[in-house]
Parts: sequence; C-alpha cells; structure tokens
Amino acid sequence: MSRYLVNKLMWEVDKSDEALAKFKADAGVFLDEWEARTQHPMPPYPEGGTLTVDERRAIESRDYGSLYGMGVNPFLLWQFARSISVPEGMSSEQLVAAFREAVEPHGFPDFFT
Amino acid sequence: MADLIGVFGVTHNPLMWASLREKAPEDLTSVAANFDYFRSLVTELAPDVIVLVASDHFHMLMTATMPAFMIGKSPEMRAAYPNEARQFGLNPARIVGEPNLAAHLLGGRHLTSGIDFAFSDEPWLDHSFLIPLLLLTPRLDIPVIPIFTNCNAPPIPTSTRFAELGTYLDDAIRSFAGKQRVLVVGSGHLAHELGGPRQFLGTSPDPDFDRKAVSWMADGNLEEAIADTSFDRLTEAGNESYQFLNFITCLAAAEGRAATFAEGTTTRLGALPFFYWEML
Repeated sequence: MSRYLVNKLMWEVDKSDEALAKFKADAGVFLDEWEARTQHPMPPYPEGGTLTVDERRAIESRDYGSLYGMGVNPFLLWQFARSISVPEGMSSEQLVAAFREAVEPHGFPDFFT
Repeated sequence: MADLIGVFGVTHNPLMWASLREKAPEDLTSVAANFDYFRSLVTELAPDVIVLVASDHFHMLMTATMPAFMIGKSPEMRAAYPNEARQFGLNPARIVGEPNLAAHLLGGRHLTSGIDFAFSDEPWLDHSFLIPLLLLTPRLDIPVIPIFTNCNAPPIPTSTRFAELGTYLDDAIRSFAGKQRVLVVGSGHLAHELGGPRQFLGTSPDPDFDRKAVSWMADGNLEEAIADTSFDRLTEAGNESYQFLNFITCLAAAEGRAATFAEGTTTRLGALPFFYWEML
C-alpha cells in the first residue's frame, strides 16, 4: 500500500487552509484533482499521487479505523481527522470518542515509513 | 570561548499553551508556576543565544525528505503554520537566528565528525519550537539556533545517538570562539499518545514510564535513560513518546549530572516535563 501517499495527502489537507476548504466542500472532487496533479509534477516535491481503491474509499468515507489499520502515521491521521471534522461535523469530544472506537480494534500497527 | 550556562527541558503541548493564554485552569496552575520559575531563570542567566532542540511535527519536514538531525542557520526565521493558527490560535512570528554559532555547530567547511547534520537556510519553526520560546522568552528577543530532530517518522535515531548529540553540543558550544552565553533548551514529552487509542485519556498513558523518566533526570542517570528508551519501550509509553529523546540530549549536554529541578507535572493532558540543569 502507498502509505506515504496517504500520509502526504492527509498532511496537505491539514496544513493548507485552501486544500482543507476544498476537501470539506467535496472530497471526491478534491481527490480527483489531487490524483491528476501527478501529470504536472513540480520540484522539489512531486505533487499528488495515485491511491489504491481501498485507500481512496477510506479517505473519502472518513474511515479512520481502516486508515489506522493500514499503518498511516497516527499523528497525521489525528490532525487530518480533527481538521476535516471539527467543529462543523462534530465536537472535539465526539470525535475523540468516535476515533478511539474506530482505532482501538487495530492495536498498534506498524507505521514505519 | 562561548559558555554553556544552563540546560532546560520543557513541554510544548499546544493544548496546554492554548489553556494558559487565559487564566490557568486548576490542573495547570503548577505548570504555569513552573513556567514562571523557568522565565525567572532565563532572566537570571541572561543567555545571548538559545540552542533549541525540538521535533518538527511534519510541518517543515514531510517524509519526501526526512533528516535525522538538522540545524537551522538563517539570520531570521518564520514560526507557526496556518493549521497551528487554526487549531491553537498560534499566530505567525519571526525569530532571530545566530548564523555564526550555527555554522560552527555544523562543523565549518566540513561536517563535524560526530553528527551528520543536515542544514537549512530557510527553517520555518512549528509549535514544538515556538511554544517553549513564547513561554520562556515572551518578547522573542533572544537569538535562536533551532536543531530539528526526527522523533516522528520511524526509523528514528537511537537514544545513544540523541545522547551523542547532547555531548557534541556541550563540546561544540564551549569550543566556539565567541563570548556568548548559551542556553540549551530541549522540547518534548514524557509518555504521550496522539492518533492512537490512548489519546486524551485525561491522564498519562504510562505513569510508570513518567516516574522513571523524571528520576533519570533527577539522578543524572544517563546510562539507564539510554538503556530504557528503545523504540519499543517508547511506543509502549505512547506513540508520541519518542520526543522524550530530546531530553536525553539535554541530559548528555549537561554532562549527565543530576538535574537541579526535575518534575513531571500531573495534568489532564498527562505528565508535562520540566527539567533544569545548572551549569555555572
């Protein structure tokens, strides 16, 4: 699995106000554009990337348990989850509870890069 | 020659910082008092430069390029990122650097034989650097040399390497042909988890680790600190506990001596670290 690309996508969405607004408006459109960016790489960091079907589904559906189980970086996952969900979708407390319930069954997956 | 006049190890927890901007809530009154004490130490010690050892949290450095240890050597640098403003109210700031001592720490024309530092001419500091600076030097008027350590993206350097970094800083600062009074500050956590099932438990994910970790600093037990902080042991303490390694750098920079002050202050955010080594 392209763990790095999932980490990179979550990182971009969390870090940029513009990317976050686009993702929250329509995750599918955002992901289409993000994946298309590989056609026009800009140094030093090639932009975008091609996700697997499972990765894209998990990101689009905010399936934090699956992403955590795949071994994405937990810190990046939490930052991403909070940015896309709070406060519009739910409160911090609600997200903490939902997130814990989602990741707990997966224990401590290997998140080596 | 320059002088190493003191070593601090402190928390940079952004939720703690956000809470302290208002009147300190009950569980953070001791934290606020500790920062008052450390600020008074800064006034008393009057450093000319702060060498700040911290771990960027995927802000400046993502894993497209991930150095183990990196020195920022610009005369001025930005601090705080847009997501930190959005999430914690951490506003953008400008920090003054100290390029001459930074170049010396890098080794001059050749890299030092001890540590293969990466370097940056355009460092941009995240909250792990800025929050200790705001709490220790609110006017941000003391030049800073940031040292970025990779505590977030495995493989991370071993605890032995973090100790070697501290020993190197102690020697290199004292061999600089200047008269600066240098304060080393480490920024990090005790047992801490974020993005895993043990985050926000209202208590530390591993109080036993916290107790031992504080005792290593209080007793000056560098050997045990190195031996008991393998990747697996730190993961057991919490998936963000790797930033404790920055305090091993502090202990080694303080030549392994017993800390003058060592506390893991109990809060709802876990135990927050405060370490001070008197060096004069």
